[in-house]
Amino acid sequence: MAYPGYGAGPGGAPGMQQDPLYGYFSAVAGHDGQISADELQRCLTQSGISGSYQPFSLDTCRLMINMLDRDMSGTMGFVEFKELWQALNGWKNTFASFDRDHSGMVEGHELQQAISSMGYNLSQQAMNCIMKRYSLNGRIPFDEFVACCVRLRALTDQFRRRDTSHNGSATFQYDDFIQVTMSI
Amino acid sequence: MISPAPLRLGLIERVRRSEFTLRQQLREETQPSLLFSSFKMAYHSPYRGAPHINAPPDQGFLWNIFQRVDKDRSGVISDSELQQALSNGTWTPFNPVTVRSIISMFDRENKGGVNFNEFAGVWKYITDWQNIFRTYDRDNSGFIDKNELKQALTGFGYRLSDQFYMTLIEKFDRQRKGQVAFDDFIQCCIVLQRLTDVFRRYDTDQDGWIQVSYEQYLSMVFNIV
Repeated sequence: MAYPGYGAGPGGAPGMQQDPLYGYFSAVAGHDGQISADELQRCLTQSGISGSYQPFSLDTCRLMINMLDRDMSGTMGFVEFKELWQALNGWKNTFASFDRDHSGMVEGHELQQAISSMGYNLSQQAMNCIMKRYSLNGRIPFDEFVACCVRLRALTDQFRRRDTSHNGSATFQYDDFIQVTMSI
Repeated sequence: MISPAPLRLGLIERVRRSEFTLRQQLREETQPSLLFSSFKMAYHSPYRGAPHINAPPDQGFLWNIFQRVDKDRSGVISDSELQQALSNGTWTPFNPVTVRSIISMFDRENKGGVNFNEFAGVWKYITDWQNIFRTYDRDNSGFIDKNELKQALTGFGYRLSDQFYMTLIEKFDRQRKGQVAFDDFIQCCIVLQRLTDVFRRYDTDQDGWIQVSYEQYLSMVFNIV
């Protein structure tokens, strides 16, 4: 799989200038065409992508950067930003479909359904870990839901890269394991 | 702005005099990692299982501290009582996640606090961390910067990339200074230790490699970070 976003320097991809998303991005990015976690937070808040939900916390933004940060620079370029935007919209729609009372929270069991609906086939035990980690009195707010999705996606990505025989099991060397896991 | 000199990293001010004599004994040890016998180091660390060499502190001294910290005199020090007694050198409350980790480490009865016997362990644990922190805070700033963190973790046996230290600081630095305060430093090391522990559990032949299923990997990680 190609790595979108890597090496998209100043000037970037063709047609970028006309892209409405580019407006939000360039408002916060510097000359290097890269944004940091707090710039991402500003950018997403200004874009209103959270809709009526609370804007993303800085921690969640940091997670988002790490999720797509293939060159380990701690920053995100425009093409990566677009990829994130698509993912965020998908997650927001999933969340909204379960948040029927528009409370900004979903119930624990709904989180399980939401995760399955996104294609993750997890055991009850793994689900329990996740629910324990993200729920506040059995309910999960939007920001935490997104943080969970970002982590799931990043972890799955990291796992796949180490499952070289594509048989569902990955090998990790210790130093690598520490660094990969801490970045997520 | 008041400059924090001398730095109050540990328990309350009034017992510092007694603390001082103990610190003298502890200072006999030049290797901080040997001091810290209860700390499980990185995987390939040469200091795994270092022997306990220091004499335990005087019981009367400890009891004094315990009583001061146990404000409601319940006989058990709660999370909030411990948090109030600890200083991270920044005049902001001690990291509550770290407080919870420390209490749960020594609370053998799952009661949500520590009694006097368990408190001896807590006291030693924190004192050990104070010494390590002071050792690696070479410029005595009260914070550990990226380079000092690198020296500390390398000293513990971790082999991490240069870029990764930036990640660690960003992740744990609650003061938003680009450096870690005492409590955040402990928190960082606790998480690294937990990851090491879970890795060890899966590395049955102890060769530094594990093979895990997707499920196992998710469970491992979501339980810790």
